[in-house]
Parts: sequence; structure tokens; C-alpha cells
Amino acid sequence: MPKIKPAAGSLAFFILALVLVLCPTVGRADDAKVRATVAKAIVTEDAEEQIKLIRSLTDVGGKQVGQLLQQWKEGGIFIYTNKGVKTPVTLAGDKDADGKQAAFLLADGSPLKDAEGKPMRVDSTDVDSADTDSNIRQAIKDVTDMAQLADPDPVQRLHAVQGVGLDQSLEKLPALEARLKVEADGAVKRALQEAIALTQLKSENVQDQIVACKKLGDLGSIPSQDALKGIMADAKAAGKNDLASAAQEALEAIASHLRWVNSIGTLFRGLSLGSILLVVAIGLAITFGLMGVINMAHGELIAVGAYTTYVVQGLFATGIVMQIPTFISTPITVRLSGMNLSGHALDSYFLLALPLSFIMAALVGVALERCIIRFLYRRPLESLLATWGVSLVLQQMFRLTFGANNVQVYSPGYLSGNWTIFDIILGWNRVFVIAFAVAIIFGTHLLLTKTPLGLLIRAVMQNRNMAACMGVRTQRVNMLTFAFGSGLAGLAGAFLSQIGNVGPSLGQSYIVDCFMTVVVGGVGNLIGTVISAIGIGVTDQSFQQFLGNPVVGKILVLVGIILFLQWRPAGIFVTKSRSLEG
Amino acid sequence: MKRDLSKLELPIAAAIAVILVVVLPLLNVSGLVSNFTINLWGKYLCYGLLAISVDILWGYTGLLSLGQALFFSLGGYMLGMNLMLMIGKDGQYFKSGNNPNLLPDFMVFLGHTFLPSFWKPFYSFPFAVLAVVLIPGLLALIFGFFAFRSRIKGVYFSILTQALTYAAYIFLLQNDVTMGGNNGFTDFKRIIGYDLREPGTQRGLYIASAVLLVLVYFFCRWLTRTKFGLVQRAVRDSETRVLFSGYAAASYKLFIFVVASSIAALGGALYVPQVGIINPSELATDKSLEAVVWCAVGGRGTIVGPIIGAISVNALKSWATTAFPDYWLIILGVLFILIVLFMPKGIVGLPAQLRSVWHWMKNKMAKAADDLPKEAPAPEATANTKP
Repeated sequence: MPKIKPAAGSLAFFILALVLVLCPTVGRADDAKVRATVAKAIVTEDAEEQIKLIRSLTDVGGKQVGQLLQQWKEGGIFIYTNKGVKTPVTLAGDKDADGKQAAFLLADGSPLKDAEGKPMRVDSTDVDSADTDSNIRQAIKDVTDMAQLADPDPVQRLHAVQGVGLDQSLEKLPALEARLKVEADGAVKRALQEAIALTQLKSENVQDQIVACKKLGDLGSIPSQDALKGIMADAKAAGKNDLASAAQEALEAIASHLRWVNSIGTLFRGLSLGSILLVVAIGLAITFGLMGVINMAHGELIAVGAYTTYVVQGLFATGIVMQIPTFISTPITVRLSGMNLSGHALDSYFLLALPLSFIMAALVGVALERCIIRFLYRRPLESLLATWGVSLVLQQMFRLTFGANNVQVYSPGYLSGNWTIFDIILGWNRVFVIAFAVAIIFGTHLLLTKTPLGLLIRAVMQNRNMAACMGVRTQRVNMLTFAFGSGLAGLAGAFLSQIGNVGPSLGQSYIVDCFMTVVVGGVGNLIGTVISAIGIGVTDQSFQQFLGNPVVGKILVLVGIILFLQWRPAGIFVTKSRSLEG
Repeated sequence: MKRDLSKLELPIAAAIAVILVVVLPLLNVSGLVSNFTINLWGKYLCYGLLAISVDILWGYTGLLSLGQALFFSLGGYMLGMNLMLMIGKDGQYFKSGNNPNLLPDFMVFLGHTFLPSFWKPFYSFPFAVLAVVLIPGLLALIFGFFAFRSRIKGVYFSILTQALTYAAYIFLLQNDVTMGGNNGFTDFKRIIGYDLREPGTQRGLYIASAVLLVLVYFFCRWLTRTKFGLVQRAVRDSETRVLFSGYAAASYKLFIFVVASSIAALGGALYVPQVGIINPSELATDKSLEAVVWCAVGGRGTIVGPIIGAISVNALKSWATTAFPDYWLIILGVLFILIVLFMPKGIVGLPAQLRSVWHWMKNKMAKAADDLPKEAPAPEATANTKP
């Protein structure tokens, strides 16, 4: 195994290097042509010829066209005249003492050379700005718009199409239609249809307008709502009943589409909130649900995980400063220098932070269990009080070590950004939390049901004395179970650092929700916890959606939980027991 | 020994009551005790009321309520509404001419022009006092009815009360419920016509707190010694047996829950004019837990315990927050862990605990003296003497 790894690594590196080398050369062939064309257009004397040349770029597309033409329009391109030969150049680099800058030929990007072949430096008196008139500027604008429409990157193209659509200028209609014929990407195609219909709303022809309305309604185009409302009002005022009713129908179709999008979005947000609840509560479902320990420091174990992530991130980036409290004299300041990584290397910190936050929180959990909780297994209410004391101590330690303010945890690139399907925006981090929750539940389930340790855990939790009689080392199992539950809290913390603030009171904001989730799910039952977390999450988001007020929604959820426990006092799933007090 | 102590309890309590109600205010009038101290002690005594309300639930009935701070603050809010309306023409907005209807300042700030109708009765002080007892009591009645009906007990009850408190907390934080939002009520000027900045008014409030505390102390002492108190403790020790004996445990619990909430609310109502502010942070999760700490530190299952706990922890807090501002929470947390682990009966139980340690030591020494002539005592024998 160790022998294969470096080989595989270097192969991957080789491929990567190859791709990096090849990519720009592919693009360069087109670039050179574009540069040459622009250079030629600038020095051409005949205005018509000039515009023709510019317009010829329409079919080429790409970023380069837009950039160069924009530069021209803004006066960033100069003409160097030597013996009647005009050469378009760009100036770059710092100005030297004489105010001169390095000059580069526009046509191929090589330095401008004098008669002896040495690179020349010029100042503004040596060159003239390449002028534009209104016709040229118009042509440039059209071409750049179209160039954006032909951008090779579908995301850029989509943005450009949406922008053109919202402009609603009829002149661009032919270009849009032309683009629609060649467009291959589904999302852009849809956006093009939308943009065309939007533009047609401005048409003089009522029939075209009606067709456009119908099209927009079919597409469920959310951005066109305002335009449609305008059209409807105008049509009513002008007595065009056909158009008004068409717009009305389109608006209704869009509204129903919007409702659908919103309810799916709500469901998705509810699922992700439920997953967050699940991730933070699953550790508690182990320590409280299975072991019966009311761990008020659970929230602080979450914060341990979050701060571990912060420290790991600091080590990968620019380093961190910590003030370790000493209780007697001034705190010791610890400065850890970072590795100053960036890009993908920095992004990879999260992969290291996940196991580390599990381990750190599990270690704190072990210490907590050994020093305090093991004396309180028979006094559950008192474990609540003692662990609250622990939570106070830990919170203050965070405050002293990392400062009272929230710390900033950088989110890796692969967790930011979102994904839009049919107008439904799915944030990557939300998608990730759902996957993460599924993985954690699955792992916990496997551990509890398929491993020897899981068997021991279940035995001890069902009947501690009986398990001890059968020779199970209950003390050890208790410790390991508690460590596992705490470690899960730490994982939750690593995750929460990606979606919210990390501060000393991070844990406090989740503790009530955690207990609620476990209590509603039914103590000692993982499936119950899953159902209750998702149920609470979806209910909360739905209330928010329908009431438009997050706080009232949250209060209603809490009241709902209290009423729910009327109906099922022991949660969704009741652990059956013959014991009277159980 | 134990009997002697309980006989002494009443005279000692009476003596302390006299000191609190009569001697301290007199010393204040004569200038020997500063106004600041009187104000501080007034606060402690209100906390004492809160601690008693936790104790008659937790120590006597086995119901660990994490929502007592809610009832305490609710009582404070009810009286605070009257105090807000009594600011009248001293409000900042009235002075600058923007408040012709004499609304509380925060409402003007939020753009209200008329007083919400539920505020209107609070112009009357007796109504406000009535509301102090009734509103929290009603909330306790409704919540308790549902909770006890479905036999929610133990940890579940704790967590549900915590959830109720949390719900109330985020509810009061909102501006549109016109209860002051995040800032709550503050800048009070007078109570039933007396200027709150006058030392005399503060002294009066202190005396009221002391008298109320003494009354509540004797009431709870009486209540826990009646047959009702017996059933109450039976519920704590084994609710199932109480049910099987034909008692409606739920009704007993509901009654004591409402009583405890009203006590907490009265404490809160006296607390607010003395500290001059009430806002939602008073009912944050940790405030209720803090009250439970006082109770545990003093000794639960007794009536004096919580009062001693509330006063000593808060005195420690006043000292530690200035002496060690950074470490105060760590001190509190560690103190709490140690008390839960090693002093389950709190300060009140300390003498008995020390006595048993003393007896154990004495026995052990006697044993050791006995064992001395013998050669090599058997290890089992010493092990067995450990209780």
C-alpha cells in the first residue's frame, strides 16, 4: 500500500500538470485571432469597414472579445505612430521616473520594439488614444452583449441571457433568437426562451404580446412578474381585453409555479434544519436517551468541536492566537503560526477538522464522565445540575481562551455556493448537512447494532446491574458510550462552524432544541430522534413560510411540542418496560 | 440532638426575621448601614423568594422546574407595566414634545400613537398587584394542568418548563408584543407616587421584601407540616404509591406549582422597582438554573436552605464579579459541581454531614485504639467499618 500511494499521487499530479499546460494553448488560438481583428479594426480608416470588422467578432464569442472591446471603448488602447505606420498598443506596468510605461502590441501581446529591436517605453505624449465614435460604441456594445451570450461558460452565458431579457430591448431580439437556434445547454435554452418572451412583451404587435404572455406563463417565469403586471395594467387602460386576460392567466400560472417552488424550498429548508437538529441531537440521544445522563454541557461539547475546527483552520491559514488562562497570574499567550496555505490545500482543512473535533470532544467527554458523571448515574436530576456547572466553566474557558466575540471560520469552497433546479435554490452547505446527517445516523446505527461494542452498549443501557452480573465491564462501557456521544457532539460542532457563528455561547443556542428533539423522539430510540428532528425542522420552516414570522413559528413549535407530549408523554417511540417507575 | 435543633429553629427564625424587618432598616435610618447595602439586601431577599419557589417544587415535591425565572420575571413585567405608565410626564419623549398621549417611551420609539388596550388597566396600582399574582398563576395553572394531566414527570418536566421559558423569552424579545422588546422596561420614576430615587422609598421596598419573605417562610413552613405537605413529600418519594393509595397526585402537584409560581412572581414584582429594570434576559435559560443552584447550595428540602443559598451565592457573586471578573463563572461552576458531588444536602446539611464524618473518624480511631494491642489487623475488618 505505501508503495502504490506515491505512484498514484505522482500520476495524478502528472495528469493535472498536463491539463494545466494544455488548457491555455487551446484557448490561445482563438485569442490571437480576436486580438488581430481588434487591432486591425482600430487602425482601419474607413468607418464602415471598421464596424464590419467589429461585428465580425460576434460569431467568435469568448471573454477576450468583451474585454478588448471594453478596453477600447474606455480609452485603454493607444495608437503608436511611427513613420506613418499606426500600431495599436496597450500600456502596462508601473510608470518610471519619466512617466513612461512599458508598451505591448495589441495584435500579439509582445513588447513594442524600436528600430534596434529593443523594447520601448512610452509616455502619453508618444501615443494617441484610440478614439471611438457613437456608431463604433454601439457596435461594440452589441458585440459585447452577444459575446457574452456566446460565452463558453454556461453559467456566464445564463447570467448574460437573463440580463438581456430584463433589458427588454427589441433590438436584441434577433440575436437572442439566433442564439436559441444553436444553444445546447438546457438551462440556458430555457433562459433564452424566457428572455425572448420578455422582450416580446414590448412588441407593438398585440398578438405577439399575447403569445409572449402565454409563453411566460408556461415557463413559470418568476422575474417577469413585474413586467406582466405592467402589461396588464396598460392593457386594461387601453381596453385590450385579450392581452389583459392573457397577462392575467400568465400571472396566475407563475403564482402557482411560485407556490410550488416555495413549498419544495420550504420542505428542503425544513429537511436541512431537521438534519442540523439531528446532527446536534444525535450525541444527546446517546448520552441522554441511552444512558439517562442529562448532560447540560452537551452544547459546550458542540462548541469544543467548533473551536477545534477553528484552530485547525487557523493552522492551515495564517495561524491563531490563544490566551490560555492560568487562574493565578496573567494568561499565557500562545501563538501558533499557520502554514499559510490557500486554495484547495486550505480547503482540505475541513477533512482533518472533522476527525479532530470528534476526538477532542470525546476526550472532554471522557474527562467529564470519569470525574463527575459516573458518581451520578443514580441521580439523574443532579447530573443535570453538575453538568450545568461544567457548561458554565467551559463557556468561560472558551471566552478567556478565544475571546468573548465570535470567531470567523472560513468555509471551504466546496461548501459554499448553491445549485438551482427549476428555480429552487439548494445551498451546498444545506445539501451537505443532509448527507452528513444521513452518514452519522447510518454510522451510529451500524455501531450500535453490528459491532461487539454496540452489543455491550445496548446491554448496559438496558440493565446496568444485569450486564455487570454477566461480566460486562460496565464502567468501561459507560465511559466509551459517553465518549462516543460527546464525539458526535464535536462532529456537530465542526459542522455548525460552517453554517453559523462560532462563539462561547454557541452551545447555549442549541441546548433547548437538542433536548426537545430527543424528548419528542422518545428516549432511547434513534429512529424516534430522526423522525422528531425532521418533523420539528419541517414544521418550523412551514410555520415560518406561512406566518412570515420566524419567532411566532418557533413559539408555535414549542407549544406544539408541549401539546404533542400530552398525546404521547414518552415521545414517538416508547421503550416498553415492565418496571412501574420506568 | 436533631430534635433540639428543630426546637431551636423557630426562635432563630424569628430572631433573624426581626433583624431583617426591623433592625436593618433602623440601622439604615441612623446611617450605619448604607443605602447601597439596603438595596443589595432587598435584591437578595427577592432572590430568596425565587429560591423558595424552586424549593417547594423541587425539594418537597420532586418537580425540578426550570421555569421559575419565567414566573419571577412575569411578576416583574406586570408591576413594570404600572411603573412605566407612572413615568407620565417625566418621559424623554414628552419633554421633547413628541408624546402627547403619555405613552411609555419605547412605544413612541416604535411609532405607536395609542396605548394598546391591554395596557390600560395597568394605570391602577391595585390592578397591577392583582395581575402580578394572577397572570403568572394562570400561566402555571394552564401549563401545569396539561403537564400533570399526562403525568409528565422527572426530567421531562424540567425540559418542558425550560422550553416554556424559552418560548416566553423569544416571545418577549419581539417588539410587536409591546412589552419593551429587547430593552424591556426601565427608567422608572415612581411607585404609588413615591420617588424611586429616594432612599426612603428604597427602604420601604426593602421592608416589603423582608416582610414578604418572612410571611412566605412561615406559610411554607406551615404548609409543609400539614397533611398536604405529607402527601406532597409522598409524591416526591413515590408518586405511584400515592396514586395507588387513592390520592389525585396531579391536583396536589398542580396546586403547589401554582403556589410556587405566585411566590416567584411576587418576588419578581418587588425585585423590579429595586433594580430599576426588567428585560427578557431575566428569563434566559440560565437564570432559572441559577435559582436552582441557590436552592442546592443552601440545602433543598428545607425552607431556610434556599434563602441561605440565595443570599450566600449572590453575596459571593457580588464579591467575585468585582474581585475576579474573568473567573467568576468558573468559580460558580466549580462550586456547583462540588456541592452536587459532595454536599447533596447543601449548607444546611453541612453540620449533620460533619457530624457523621466526626462519628466515623471517632469510631475509626476507637477501633484503631482497640486494634492496637492486636497484631496485624485483618484488612476485611477495616474495610467493613467504612459505611
